[in-house]
Amino acid sequence: MLVPPHGGRLTDRQYEGGEAEKIIEQVKGEKLLTLNTREKNDLEMIGNGAMSPLEGFMTKNDYESVCDLMRLASGPVWSLPVVFASKNGDPDVSPGEHVGLKDREGTIWGDLQIESVFEADLAAEADKTLGTNDNSHPGVAYLNSLNGKYIGGKIRSIRRRDTESFQNYRLDPKETRVLFRARGWKTAVAFQTRNPIHRAHEYIQKCALEIVDGLLLHPLVGETQEGDIPADVRMRCYAEILKDYYPSSRVAMSVFPAAMRYAGPREAIFHALLRKNYGCSHFIVGRDHAGVGNFYGTYDAQMIFDRFDSDELGIIPLKFEHAFYCTECGNMATSKTCAHDSKSHVFLSGKKVREMLKEGKMPPPEFTRPEIAEILMEASRKGDNR
Amino acid sequence: MKGLVIWIRTETKSGESLLDDLGRDIRDRGGRVEVFHSKTVEDLGMEKNDRAKAIACAMLAGHGIVVLASGTEKSGLNSGDTLEIREVEESELRLDELHDSFLRNLELAGLIPPPRFDVNPDEEKEILKKLQDLGYIDSES
Repeated sequence: MLVPPHGGRLTDRQYEGGEAEKIIEQVKGEKLLTLNTREKNDLEMIGNGAMSPLEGFMTKNDYESVCDLMRLASGPVWSLPVVFASKNGDPDVSPGEHVGLKDREGTIWGDLQIESVFEADLAAEADKTLGTNDNSHPGVAYLNSLNGKYIGGKIRSIRRRDTESFQNYRLDPKETRVLFRARGWKTAVAFQTRNPIHRAHEYIQKCALEIVDGLLLHPLVGETQEGDIPADVRMRCYAEILKDYYPSSRVAMSVFPAAMRYAGPREAIFHALLRKNYGCSHFIVGRDHAGVGNFYGTYDAQMIFDRFDSDELGIIPLKFEHAFYCTECGNMATSKTCAHDSKSHVFLSGKKVREMLKEGKMPPPEFTRPEIAEILMEASRKGDNR
Repeated sequence: MKGLVIWIRTETKSGESLLDDLGRDIRDRGGRVEVFHSKTVEDLGMEKNDRAKAIACAMLAGHGIVVLASGTEKSGLNSGDTLEIREVEESELRLDELHDSFLRNLELAGLIPPPRFDVNPDEEKEILKKLQDLGYIDSES
């Protein structure tokens, strides 16, 4: 049996077809609030159950409990706020009101039954959840762009399949669970990524695959920051490498439509809990998972898991070191398994790789498989590296 | 799992049938349940009052069992590190919506197991078809 969803049940607040039309009809004449990109990503993931047990944007009680205790007010572990921010120019609203949710272009994406309207201390939120108030942190910059008022309550999310990217790779938690069962997997490890695949990632994924039934490659395709490799380039890299280097019956790739928050350790917990909802029993946590710049310690994202009982997390973190190719060992390794010093290690920083790609230089095959390097070089030539 | 006493506040004996229903529900989820009827107090030769019942409930629940009891007052029963006491009005439990939200809150607090999760068979068929169409599984799966 697969791991149960977080909080025991997979919430389902996603509507399409006639049901979606009804929602659109119901919000006609109601006040409309505007979703930003992150909130639109969150709405989708609350709707499809990836954020179970959340049924909507957080109310004041949940928000404060999550910021202070990393728990929902009802008890389950939850590490990051999932909130809807009031926007300048939107109408004033109060608890008890029913409103529509639209994007900036005016398309209706769902509705919200308002339970809570509250002022948030955004500096305190940044401090508690991101560990910094430095505006050069993208999460802090995001908070600083808000006006400080949040609106919470249950949502209904409208699914518009025709607008979705990566349609061939878009599986909801319910669907990955059926997939795992159909393939006979009782355990599955999720790999979160917002980077193209290099040999180090491949090595870690395959190490993890040695101890579980299946691997869910789950590239994040929601909002990321300037400078990250675009999702379509990353997806092309993964599709290419899966063709020849992974056993197809033991690997599945689908997209993870979440926005990056760059919250380091707290986001590592968040990513793990969401993958539990997709049916994964294990989750790979590398060094500086979901980190940015030098805001978090190398092992912070791994150590934070020790603060919770394994039962209440319900997903097992697999903690990995950076991997590299060792010329002395003649294979991929990490500092846990290699006896040689760094002079024997083939390892390139992200910055170095970007420079090489820009200059049209192929990274060494011990670092990146040539098929992947070709895709990255082509993207770099076309200016896809934002 | 932390020990739990669910104390149904009632002035009448009608709360006793609710205990059995609730007990069956939690047992079906895989919970270890003891239903503590008023008659049990008498059968054990204990003094027939809520205080005696409350003490017995706390002792049982201290072993990680979900104990269900009813009475006018849960005298002397208090939540602690290993024991959680949840009181509920009989009238609330008789309303479907409140009954469900009471159990859901216990689930979320990790005090009772959730119901076994399953995708309904019709929906599963549709999902399998989608997975075949997208090439995730072959038609024999």
